[in-house]
Amino acid sequence: MLHHAQVSLNTSTYDVVRFVGDAEPYDDLIDNCGSAGRMRDGNQATWEHTEEPNLMELEKTFELHIPSVLGFEKVVVDFAASVGKILHLPAERIEDLKTAVAEACTNAIEHGNKMKPSARVSVSFTIEESKLQVAVQDEGSGIGQATPPSLEQTISRKKERPRGWGIFLIKNLMDEVEFETRPGGWNVVRMVVRLQE
Amino acid sequence: MSNDIEVTIHNKDDVAIINIKGDVAAVTGEAIEEAYQEVSLIGSTKILLVFDKECYINSGGIAILIGIVSESQDNKQIIRITGLSEHFHKIFDMVGLTRYIDIFPSEAAALEGF
Repeated sequence: MLHHAQVSLNTSTYDVVRFVGDAEPYDDLIDNCGSAGRMRDGNQATWEHTEEPNLMELEKTFELHIPSVLGFEKVVVDFAASVGKILHLPAERIEDLKTAVAEACTNAIEHGNKMKPSARVSVSFTIEESKLQVAVQDEGSGIGQATPPSLEQTISRKKERPRGWGIFLIKNLMDEVEFETRPGGWNVVRMVVRLQE
Repeated sequence: MSNDIEVTIHNKDDVAIINIKGDVAAVTGEAIEEAYQEVSLIGSTKILLVFDKECYINSGGIAILIGIVSESQDNKQIIRITGLSEHFHKIFDMVGLTRYIDIFPSEAAALEGF
């Protein structure tokens, strides 16, 4: 069971044990190391027990596939929130990520896949050392770059249902955004959130 | 899953209050548009939109709100908003809606001096 975890012992006035790895073997580890700790000069051991996995040692890419049905974007949004929490993103950045992911998925469902339920939207979350990259891919043939929306023009011209706000929000909420279209193939939006040091 | 919205209307003095709970998106946002038309029809010139803290608002919903703001300019109506989370307050700022409507931290604050 020990091979699932890394254990380090620092000997000073007391012992510090830090666990990094799967949660399951922790109990046995605590028991084993607890015995070892008590053997050291009879000092009381202080345990620094963390259940946080070391993300750099785990699977770094997670993928989700949803049908092109409005509402399923929320599944991805919930997943994004969970990833954000694991990465200790500030609450506000998690909200930004949720909004950007929701907009990218909604665009993929509505404009990329034209609401065809059987067409998939594939979303990948890749954790790198200093950033989280989210890629949202549809099966559409290209939606083109929306013209940046102007609120003033929309209000004064009384245009119906102004469009382009989704991409506007993605660009303004994420640290980096890239759009790629393969003619006759698919569209992908890649978004990056930089991780705090 | 995106059809969850609850919109109710009531009045307090001369202010029409529209309470919004749930998803504010392109399709569901029409319920807000209908509520706005309803209060406009009876001549309301002061309208308060009260969002539930848990509201999910996407760009489709924002587009609906922009449409309402646009129409309110013609109708000489004043629209105020309350109940938004900090995040959506930021989004409304980003989009520019706060240049046309004021956002208040509470319903009481929004009604004060309206």
